[in-house]
Amino acid sequence: MKKVYILGLMGLLMASCKPNIEPEKPSSGEGIDFSSYVAVGNSLTAGYADGSLYKSGQKNSYPAILAEQLKVVGGGQFRLPLLPGEYGYPGAKLMLTVRKGLCDTAAGLSPFPYTGALDSAGSSNNIFNSDGPFNNMGIPGIRCIDYLVPGYGALNPYARRMFVNPAGSRPVDEMVVAKPTFFTLWIGSNDVLGYAMAGGDQAAPAPGGTNQISNVDIFNAAYDTVLSTMKRKGAQGVLINIPDITSSPFFTAIPAKGLLLSKKDVNNLNDLYNPLGGWIRFEEGYNYFVIEDSTAPNKFRHIKDGEYILLSTPQDSLKCKGWGTLKPIPARYVLTAGEVLKIQTATYAFNNIIALMARRENLAVVDVNSYLKTLQKGVLFNGSTFNTSFVSGGAFSLDGLHLTPRGAALVANQIITTINTKYRATIPMIDVNKYNGVLFP
Amino acid sequence: MKKQFLLMGSLLLSTAMAYGAAFQLNLQGVRQLAQGGTGTAVPWDAATIFYNPGGLSALKHVQAYGSVQFLSANTRYVETPTGTYSADSKPKTYTPFNFYIGGPVRYKSKLSLGLGIYTPFGTGIKWDDNWRGRYVIQDIQLQSIFFQPTASYRINDIISVGAGFVIATGNVKIQKAIPLQNMNGQDGMAELKGNASGFGYNVGVHLRATDNLQFGISYRSGVKMKVKRGYASFTVPTSLSGSFPYTAFKSDLNLPQVVSVGVGIKATERLSIQADANFVGWSSYDSLIFDYENNTASLSDTRSPRRYQNTVILRLGGSYAISQKFTAMLGGAYDPSPIRDGYLSPDLPDNDHVMVTGGLTFKPNKKLCIMGVFEYVFTPKRDGSFDEANFGGRYQTKIINPGLGISYDF
Repeated sequence: MKKVYILGLMGLLMASCKPNIEPEKPSSGEGIDFSSYVAVGNSLTAGYADGSLYKSGQKNSYPAILAEQLKVVGGGQFRLPLLPGEYGYPGAKLMLTVRKGLCDTAAGLSPFPYTGALDSAGSSNNIFNSDGPFNNMGIPGIRCIDYLVPGYGALNPYARRMFVNPAGSRPVDEMVVAKPTFFTLWIGSNDVLGYAMAGGDQAAPAPGGTNQISNVDIFNAAYDTVLSTMKRKGAQGVLINIPDITSSPFFTAIPAKGLLLSKKDVNNLNDLYNPLGGWIRFEEGYNYFVIEDSTAPNKFRHIKDGEYILLSTPQDSLKCKGWGTLKPIPARYVLTAGEVLKIQTATYAFNNIIALMARRENLAVVDVNSYLKTLQKGVLFNGSTFNTSFVSGGAFSLDGLHLTPRGAALVANQIITTINTKYRATIPMIDVNKYNGVLFP
Repeated sequence: MKKQFLLMGSLLLSTAMAYGAAFQLNLQGVRQLAQGGTGTAVPWDAATIFYNPGGLSALKHVQAYGSVQFLSANTRYVETPTGTYSADSKPKTYTPFNFYIGGPVRYKSKLSLGLGIYTPFGTGIKWDDNWRGRYVIQDIQLQSIFFQPTASYRINDIISVGAGFVIATGNVKIQKAIPLQNMNGQDGMAELKGNASGFGYNVGVHLRATDNLQFGISYRSGVKMKVKRGYASFTVPTSLSGSFPYTAFKSDLNLPQVVSVGVGIKATERLSIQADANFVGWSSYDSLIFDYENNTASLSDTRSPRRYQNTVILRLGGSYAISQKFTAMLGGAYDPSPIRDGYLSPDLPDNDHVMVTGGLTFKPNKKLCIMGVFEYVFTPKRDGSFDEANFGGRYQTKIINPGLGISYDF
C-alpha cells in the first residue's frame, strides 16, 4: 500500500514538473477599433524595397506586419494590392550578388539587378474589382500635395492598378473606400525626397515638378484634407512624421571622406592640381572627394563634412573613371551644404504641420524622425543589432532608402508603442527577427 | 588517457548537469540530498569526501560508494508585458553522478584516505533552433568532473581534519544563431566547443562535541576552469565566410569558492536533525569572455558581463530510523539566485530555488546500503531582461530529480 501511495505521489510531482506560466493577454485599449485598418502612405508604406515593388516586399510592408499583430486585439482582414511576382515592377529589384564589375580587380559583394524569371506579367492590370478594396493604400512616388490631384491614377501606374476610378478620382477619395476604423498616415517624404535624389538644385525649376521641394502652404492644405477625410467617419489613427532622409544610407553609404589614396596617387594628383593654387590637395589615406559646385572657383572643390554623395553615383565611374579625383563628381549626384539645409528646413516645416494637426485632431504622432536618429546610433532587438549602415545595418534595403522587412517591423513597433501610450493599449511588440533582413549569397 | 576516460564517462552517463541555483549542483550524496543537501556536520558515508573531508576519518571501514541522479529540468519562457509567444526548453534528462572510495588505512587508524569523483558544477539548456532568443543562445552545455584525492586525520575523539586536492576537468559547448541570413532567409550559426581544466582544493574540520552534537566547517576553493584551446566554427552565407574563419579560442570560467558550516543534532535515538549554510562566492563569475585566435573585422573577441553576486544557501533536513533496516529522510533548502536584474540570460534563466527533498535507505545487511532520493525544485516566475542583448521576458523552471545510490563497507 505504502509503495502505491509513494508512486502516486511521484506521479503528481511529475505532472507539476512543467512550468505553467502563460503570457498576459493583450488589450486593445480605450476608444479604438482596429477592425478595418487602412494604411495611407507612399513607397515606404507600399512595401517598396531593393529599388522596386514586388510581392514579398508588399507582404512584409510595415502595415502588413502591423495588421498581423493587431489581429490579437481585434484587427480584421488586411487586403494588399499584391503584384503577381517577385521580379519587381516595373524594374528588377536589387539583390546582393558576388560579381566582378567592369573596373574591379576582384569579385566583390554588391547590389545587382535580380536575374531570376521575369514574372511581372499583368502587373499593370487594375485589380480593384478582383481583389479590392485595399487596406494598404501605399502608393510609391506619391507626394502629400498629389492627394488632391484628380485623375492622379492616370499618372502613377501603382495608383492606377489599385484605384476604383484611376482616371477621375483624387487619391484622397480612394483612401476611404475600405471604410477605415483605424488608419496610419505616413505621407510627405516624397515632398523632399525627389529634390534630394535629383542632387538638389538642378535643371530649371519647373513649378510643382517632382524634383522640387513642395510648397509648404500647398502641403498644409493637402495634409489637412487627407487627415479630415480619414477622420470623417470617426476613425482613429496615428500620424507618422517625416524622417530626415539625409540620415539614410542612400546619402551616407559613400562617405564624404571616403577616397582612399596611395602615396603614388597622391603625388600624381597633387602635381596635377598644384598649379591651381593648392586648394585641391590630397594626402595618403582617406581624402575628401572632389565635387562639382557651380558657386566654387573653377566650379569644383573638395566635398565637406555634412555634404552627401548619392548612392546612385555610378560605381564604375568612381572606381576607374577618375570621378572624385581627376573629374569632379557631377552636381546631380551631390548634395551641398546649402541643399542639405533646404531639405532639413522643409522636413522641419512639414513635421511642424503634422505635429500641429495631430494636436488639433487629438491624434498621436509616431516620431520616426527621432527614431531614425536613434537607429543611426544602433538599436538592439533580441540579440540582433540594427543601424543605418548600408547593407550591414540590416534595417535598410539595398536601395538605401526603403526598409527591409526587419526595418519595417522596427517601424511597426514604434507605431505600436505610440498606440499603446495614446490609447492605453497593451499590444505586444512584434518579434522583428521573425522577418528577413538583408539576404547574403 | 584522461580524455578517453572523460569520453567513456560521457558515453556511459551523460555527465552534463543542470541547475543548482545558477550552475552549482548540490547533488553529491544521496542521503545528504534527501536531507535538503545538508552534510557538513554529519559524516554519514563516504560522500563526506565532498561535504567535509574532515569527516572521512569518522568512517570505521573502507567504503565504496556510487550514486546517480536523473535530473529533468523544464524551463518556460513567455513574452512580457503581454503577448502570445511562449517557448519551452527541450526536455532532457541529465545524469550527474558521484563515486567515492575511502576509509581508515588500517582498522582503527587515525589516518583515512579516499578518492572522490563527482560533478559539482554544470548547466545545460536547449531551446528550439528558431526561438526568439536564438541570437542569444540555442544550446549550452557545461559539464565538469572533479577528481579529489583526500586525506583525513582524527586528532582526538573530538576533532578531525581533512583535505583534498581537486583536479577538475570539464567541457563546454555553446550554439547560437548569428543574424546573417542567406538567400533563403536562414540564419548563420556559431558553435563553440572546448575542454576545460583547473585545480582547487577542499578542506574541512569535523567536531564531535558530544555524542549527540556535531559540527562541521568546510571550504571548497574556487576553481579557474581554463579552456586553453577550444574551437569555434561558423556557418554563414558563403560570401561572408572569409570573415568568419574556423578558429581556436580561449576562455576562463571561474567556479565559485564555497564556505559551508553545519550542525547536526541527535534529538532522539531515532531522529537526527541537520542544518547547513553555504556561502557561495558567485562574484567570481564576473564576465564570460571568448578570446578568438583569429580575429577579423566581423569576428572580434566577446566579453559578456554577468556580475553574479554572492549568495547564502540555507538547508535543513532530518533523518528518522524507522527500523534497523529502513531510514527515512526529509529536507528542504532555499538557494537564492546570484543573477542580478538586467543580467538574466536565457542561457541560464535562473531564479531563487526552493527545494523539497525526501529519501529512503535500505540496509539489508551490515555492509550494504541502498539509497533512494527524490528532489523537487521550484523557482518562482521571474521577469527579467538580458540587457546586453535587449532580450527580456518571464521565465519559470521546475525540476524533478530522483536518484539512486549504493554503498558497501569492506
